[in-house]
Amino acid sequence: MSVIKLTGGRVIDPANGINDQVRDIYVKDGRIVAALADGDKVSAEYNVSGRVVMSGAIDMHTHIGGGKVNIAREMLPEDHRGDPVARTEITRSSCGYCAPGTLAAGYRYAEMGYTSCFEPAIIPMNARQAHMEMGDTPIIDTGGYAMLGSDDFLLRMLVANEDQKSINDYVAWILHSTQTLGIKVVNPGGISAFKFNQRKLDLDEQNAYYGVTPRRIIQTLTRAVHELGVPHPLHVHASNLGVAGNVDTTLATMEAAEGRPIHMTHIQFHSYGTEGDRKFSSGAARIAEAINRHKNVSADVGQVLFGQTVTASGDNMSQYRNAAFASPKKSAVMDIEMEAGCGVVPFKYKDQNFVNALQWAIGLEIFLMVDDPWRIFLTTDHPNGAPFTTYPHLIKLLTDRSFRNAMLDTINPDAKAMSNLAALEREYSLYEIAIMTRAAPARILGLTDRGHLAPGAAADIVVYTENADRERMFEKPDLVFKDGELVVRDGKVVKVVRGNTHVVKPEFDRGIEKKIEPYFRRFHSVRMNNFKISDDELCECGGGSKLIPHACGKRS
Amino acid sequence: MSALVLALRNAPAQRVDVGSLNPTALAGLSLADIAALTLSVGKRTVRVDDLFELSGDDSSDVVFRGDCSKLERIGAGMKSGRVTIEGDAGAYVGQGLLGGDIVVKGSAGAFCGTGMKRGRIEVTGDVADFAGAAIPGEMKGMAGGLLLVGGNAGERLGDRMRRGQILVSGNAGDYCGARMIAGTIAVAGKVGAYPGYLMKRGTLILNALPAQMLPGIVDCGSHRLGFLSLLYASWKGLPGPFGALDASACTVRRYMGDMGVTGRGELLVRGG
Repeated sequence: MSVIKLTGGRVIDPANGINDQVRDIYVKDGRIVAALADGDKVSAEYNVSGRVVMSGAIDMHTHIGGGKVNIAREMLPEDHRGDPVARTEITRSSCGYCAPGTLAAGYRYAEMGYTSCFEPAIIPMNARQAHMEMGDTPIIDTGGYAMLGSDDFLLRMLVANEDQKSINDYVAWILHSTQTLGIKVVNPGGISAFKFNQRKLDLDEQNAYYGVTPRRIIQTLTRAVHELGVPHPLHVHASNLGVAGNVDTTLATMEAAEGRPIHMTHIQFHSYGTEGDRKFSSGAARIAEAINRHKNVSADVGQVLFGQTVTASGDNMSQYRNAAFASPKKSAVMDIEMEAGCGVVPFKYKDQNFVNALQWAIGLEIFLMVDDPWRIFLTTDHPNGAPFTTYPHLIKLLTDRSFRNAMLDTINPDAKAMSNLAALEREYSLYEIAIMTRAAPARILGLTDRGHLAPGAAADIVVYTENADRERMFEKPDLVFKDGELVVRDGKVVKVVRGNTHVVKPEFDRGIEKKIEPYFRRFHSVRMNNFKISDDELCECGGGSKLIPHACGKRS
Repeated sequence: MSALVLALRNAPAQRVDVGSLNPTALAGLSLADIAALTLSVGKRTVRVDDLFELSGDDSSDVVFRGDCSKLERIGAGMKSGRVTIEGDAGAYVGQGLLGGDIVVKGSAGAFCGTGMKRGRIEVTGDVADFAGAAIPGEMKGMAGGLLLVGGNAGERLGDRMRRGQILVSGNAGDYCGARMIAGTIAVAGKVGAYPGYLMKRGTLILNALPAQMLPGIVDCGSHRLGFLSLLYASWKGLPGPFGALDASACTVRRYMGDMGVTGRGELLVRGG
């Protein structure tokens, strides 16, 4: 039995309304407890007085596993050569800056105080590969969202006007079979439309083959996820990513949810207007106003930060468009079985480029204009906007107005002139940062025992020395505990543990397999029973990681 | 001032990256500083003076002595100065070279001169495969400068080469000038099968075509090309046969290809 005491820290725990109160925290066998029982002996005490204590950070949208990440790694050997990570006594060697290997990803996340990360785009057919990669990622908890919306089976169901209950059963079956935590839709129906030579698909435009519109897919899937009681709302990568003027599509997509919960992901890439000489402008104000008004809508930002990165997305339509801007000049756009596609395009965001600079400003505008930190999440859509290692820099931009304005003065002057960023006075507080990186992601994902520090919670705890320079503060925590084990000290991994895998298991009617099994036999490269990932297999391929199912409250 | 001599105490069993021991990186360092630098040998980190016996004081003139065939990236990225290898060198000699001279008095391993932009590499013996070529993942191989080979070159000479000149006094292997983007390769001896495979632009100057030619390399007839006399004149005095070409002998048979890509590359066969 291990009992740990963290003495005298300034606890910031927004999920429990605790803002900077000095408290002692007790951890017993990996869980936080209110007090010690008689006979408990403290095995390790850490004096953290004067230091800031938060729960482990949660990245709810980061591409760290699955087919496209591997394609990015293969495509960018120079990224790996240029950024080697040497082995130490306890950690293994790895490499990579914008598409790091699994090992470097796990170590670096932990060293920044992140203890849970979620891969947002698991193509069901690639789920096994994604889980294997995430299982290979040390220390952090993982989980993922299964990608639907352009899969032939669902589109056929919509064409056949099947009832919502059958669709719910299929969605639940996918969640079970792929061992995922939520459902994502990427360019709804657009990935399929690309295969039928459509190069653009608006919200109310029909897929040339199925005749189904993106709006209908959003409506059907938001309803399915809601009725199944999956905690995380439908995770939506909307239509027209990156297209000037897509702000209208994005606002209409929010409306298409018809009041049901909907999560708009990397919304920065969907907030562009067509004003100005170059017909490219910020739609951040309209987006922020809509999020403030619609309480059913949440969003993560997908902030762009300058430098070399690689964009990896299931959205083959937008990646095909972007391939012309690849830097270095190479890219891959591909079709994946009956289900989806993907595109990988290396990209260099430049601060003197008008469009890139305005993208940077738009992301920050959204952060600062959305009032409720519980519904806006800190992401760069790693690695699409920037690698996750830039998070401390991003936190500094949000918390320090003078730093932000100094940066603003260095970007493309035309972009600066098109942005109202300089007028935004807001500075995020530590409490708000703790909400958007801990409490809120745990809540929106239904992770009841993560993202907070109340008794019963898993002991994922981070201790920082307060520093007015928030970048310095957040890039190197003093202590990081994962499930009660000290894994990082002074920003360096001191112990490697294995993270858990978070899943949901909504109730459904297994009768749906009578339809799915023959479909797999006729069209797929594997049989249905080989497609499904069992609990035992998941834990085995995750090298013995623990499976944590989260409750679903069925709503129909 | 005498040249800085790095004499191997024993030939290392594993490959060693000695890219950091070049005149640009060593400028201003004392002999003691240089001795204390570290290198990786397998999973061990060793001091430079564990591996080499050091003498001399002129770090702008570095000499490697001993069996250097396991030493990689010799002279990588240097901007000026001179590096001499008294014997065979390992892979990646002069990777990303930005200036200065490298002389290998023996043979060099794979990817000799990869990514070099300026400067000159002279190999008196042979170069292995992929000399002047792009390493995997890079879009460009050699991008400038001069690579002189006294002996033979291996396969894929100048693969994805972008600019600069490679002159081979002996033979070249298969797929010479494959995927070439631009630049000039001249081979005095024979070339292996399929020269110019997928070449976009650039010039291969040969004395004869091999039996195995790609269908995408097409005969464009005999021409007298004035630029060759200028090119030959610029080579005057270089070691090997190219330094002594008759500048007026500029009639060639011209082949163009690879028609599978842009077809703007040329193979010039001398004597037309």
